[in-house]
Amino acid sequence: MKKTILTLGLVLGLIMLIVPVYGAPRLTIPEAEFNFGYVPQNAKISHVFWLKSTGDDSLRILSVKPG
Amino acid sequence: MEKKELAVGDSTRLEVIFSTRRYNNRVIKRPRIETNEGPPNKHVQITSQVVRRPDSTYPVIIKPYKLDISQFGEKVRDEIKFNITNVSDSNLNLTLIDMPEGLFELKLPKTIEAGKTAQGVLKLHQESIEMSFEKSITIELDDEQASRFTIPVKRTRRTVGKTTAQKSGH
Repeated sequence: MKKTILTLGLVLGLIMLIVPVYGAPRLTIPEAEFNFGYVPQNAKISHVFWLKSTGDDSLRILSVKPG
Repeated sequence: MEKKELAVGDSTRLEVIFSTRRYNNRVIKRPRIETNEGPPNKHVQITSQVVRRPDSTYPVIIKPYKLDISQFGEKVRDEIKFNITNVSDSNLNLTLIDMPEGLFELKLPKTIEAGKTAQGVLKLHQESIEMSFEKSITIELDDEQASRFTIPVKRTRRTVGKTTAQKSGH
């Protein structure tokens, strides 16, 4: 019984050591929606969104595709 | 986008540009962002109500509905005025929701009485005088629908001297 608890403790300890090394990137968009309201035709309008890296590894933005 | 790689805790701007072309009525766009976080990809979303007749909107009419502050000569053009007419039967308060950073300053009326017209003024910053850009400003009213209006702002900077210089350089 003692051996099992000790082994489990060691495994948990190892997991806790390994997890930060293999941290995951995470993208957070604080405000992901914007409403322009009424806009005229044949015009260009724009809005800036903020993208934040909130994971525990650096975040790479690979592409942004129009939707 | 300014940066494609973000350290932990870092952030960057993503500018979404929407060309309204001949769209009509409600338009929703959802650009997709692919990162090394893996699937599912994340989205941002823009919504707009594209109008064919911007001279007949409600509860306000903005004239001109596009602000073109272009300059084609040496004479500096750094200011444009526009009128906002309250065509409803209630007084309306205006709030500025969005405008680009660092290009210009904007003076907006805080309140427009029912049936009255008030003036807004857009003045370029000194650093923006040499620039060309297409941006927009968004305002919100305090009517029941919290109506929003986005006014496109365009500046093209071209002088005869510069055009000639560019041509002679080739």
